[in-house]
Amino acid sequence: MIDRRAALAVLLTGALTAACGTTEDPGQAGPVKITVWSWKPASDGLAAVAKDFEKANPNIKVTVQAVGNPAIWDKITIDMAAGGKGLGDVLHIGIDYLPGYMDKFPGGLADLRKLGADSHKDAFAKGLWPTVTGKDGGVYAMPWEVNPVGFFYRKDLFDKAGVEVEKITTWDEAIEAGKKLKEKTGAFLVGLNKSAAGSVDMDFYQSLLQQQGAFYFNGQGEVTLSSAPAVQAMTLLKKMNDAGIVADTSGEGTAKQLISGGKLAVLPWAAWAVSYIPDMRPEQKGLWRVMQPPAVTPGGKRTAIVNSTHLAVSGTSPHQKEAYTFVEYALTRPEVINKVFKEGGVFPALTAAYSDPRYTEPQPYYGDQPALKPFVDALTEGADATYYSGDYARALKIASDAQTKVLLKGADPAAALTEAATLLAQQTNRKLAG
Amino acid sequence: MTFTLSRPRERARTRQSYVTRRNIPYLLIMPALLGFLVFKAYPIIAAMYISLTTGAGAARSFVGLDNYVRLVNDPLFWTSLWNTGLILVVQVPIMLLFALLLSLGLNSPLVRLRGLWRLGVFMPSLTGLVAYGVMFSVILRKDAGLLNWLLGLFGVTPIDWLGSPFWARISIVIALTWHYTGYNAVIYLAGLQSIPKELYEAAMVDGAGAARRFWSITVPQLRPILALTVVLSTIGTLQLFDEPFVLTGGGPDNSTLTISLYLYQNGFRYFDFGYAAAIAYALTLIVAVFGIAQMRLQKK
Repeated sequence: MIDRRAALAVLLTGALTAACGTTEDPGQAGPVKITVWSWKPASDGLAAVAKDFEKANPNIKVTVQAVGNPAIWDKITIDMAAGGKGLGDVLHIGIDYLPGYMDKFPGGLADLRKLGADSHKDAFAKGLWPTVTGKDGGVYAMPWEVNPVGFFYRKDLFDKAGVEVEKITTWDEAIEAGKKLKEKTGAFLVGLNKSAAGSVDMDFYQSLLQQQGAFYFNGQGEVTLSSAPAVQAMTLLKKMNDAGIVADTSGEGTAKQLISGGKLAVLPWAAWAVSYIPDMRPEQKGLWRVMQPPAVTPGGKRTAIVNSTHLAVSGTSPHQKEAYTFVEYALTRPEVINKVFKEGGVFPALTAAYSDPRYTEPQPYYGDQPALKPFVDALTEGADATYYSGDYARALKIASDAQTKVLLKGADPAAALTEAATLLAQQTNRKLAG
Repeated sequence: MTFTLSRPRERARTRQSYVTRRNIPYLLIMPALLGFLVFKAYPIIAAMYISLTTGAGAARSFVGLDNYVRLVNDPLFWTSLWNTGLILVVQVPIMLLFALLLSLGLNSPLVRLRGLWRLGVFMPSLTGLVAYGVMFSVILRKDAGLLNWLLGLFGVTPIDWLGSPFWARISIVIALTWHYTGYNAVIYLAGLQSIPKELYEAAMVDGAGAARRFWSITVPQLRPILALTVVLSTIGTLQLFDEPFVLTGGGPDNSTLTISLYLYQNGFRYFDFGYAAAIAYALTLIVAVFGIAQMRLQKK
């Protein structure tokens, strides 16, 4: 009896392991209704302009769904694997997933060239258009949000330590300042989720790579995770960590606690943080300032686009034309995209939007500094295009493991990255760059 | 009167031609069988085919055994196998021992408010994955976590439960044990209650002490149930996914990466469905080998 039951259990569990897949009803009929998948708070911005859009285009009805991030990725992946059944017409897709969808699901996203997207080629911040262009030259998404990296700092803490932050131009100088800061005020220079518990924390490392025009892959799709710039960036992290000026922000709410306790002096966060920090810590009004981050090498580039998000149109949507009409409406008109920015906190990729006075007006929270200006300057200066490739998710995980080894186990940056690059090349069937 | 009585009988006879004594068992299992064919058998066979391909949708192409060759050469797969084995060897014996002790306690006639205790013991099995994940990440936090605060009262320095490779594995073991001990305890309790009282009474008359009664009556009588829980827990742990998924994400540095989690990452993070299916088949094979080996051992 037991034998039989156990045998059945073996059979059933084997089945469970091998099983996966769901389907949904297409649910599209009648007058042209399009569904937009996004996540909060960005979806609030889109929903706000969707009403205006419906007024201008009475034949199209737009439903904006806040599917949630990261839930949206599993949903899109499953639906694409099922041949596009149940997928929304317009999809909000981050740069960390876009190349994967483009590579792994040919036809999953619509080529917007056919609908005229090419005419907006130069409308967006430099470095973005190549990331939405496929190997076949097709345009598979329109840039919506762009996040140039910033250097948010607590002026009061640096003042106490006797450091003039504005004069810092390289990360090496920032490390020296950080040591002084730690000694005088007890505050850490930056925080990182060292064990990558919960989620990876690679934006900072990636920004150090991107400042050098480097990344995990080069334009030819070869693995560059062990290149000289990659090692240099990781060596900087190790230097900071060894100096004891990197706080460990692993765990729910740890970073927030450190910030409210005045234990974090710098947040190397991107443009979205301009509105996020005042929301999160209203009582720290007047203490924060923002500038462009220091360069990795003396005289080197200080700008980097850490990530961007886009609107794409499902390749299986029966209403691609209407979906694109909405995308074009929402993303290519300065007044519309600035409304999205206001309602959804999403920093626009459309360069024409920056002439609006809001980008240069002084903000009381930042001691009357025009806090958005460093970001606009960065985008005007232009960042290098980053080659994410279809294997970005895998690269991100492997690079994160290398960072954890360096930060927690004191591994040698060059050795850890060589090991990581070899693994990445093996797993993705790519060449190691020479 | 006789006429009206004979009609239903006739009807019953015509029905009997469809529903016979012989085919009724098959009709009864039909819904389950159909469900199995659609939701289990089909995916199993489809996954076998997918494991021999690469890419997805229109870009899918047949690659033969490439995915399996890659699997054997993949250091991360071996890491996940090692982690899973380690957690299995440590966690299953601890949990089953706890469960046995708990069930003995619950079964004792001396315990009052039995229903309440039983509910308490079983409650963790009913806790949803998300609630459970959030709860443990709060308990296990390094700063201001409940467990570290408690240990701090005894002068233990704060432990980085989820941030250090060693402690992260221990955390998974703790969470797993918390979640499934009650479930096993309830199974044992049912087993204990089915042991005839007469055996104990006879042993007591013969002058056997509590320990002797436990080893000579309880354990042998419970053997089939013990065997069942060992096999079920082994299979469950081999497929471990929930705990590392919500608590550690497989980190730090892959120290809690399990086979199922690696499977999920390949399928849903890297869109490498062929490879994920190959991992699923490797796991199925391992589960089958373990299951059969354990059953063989128990027969002897």
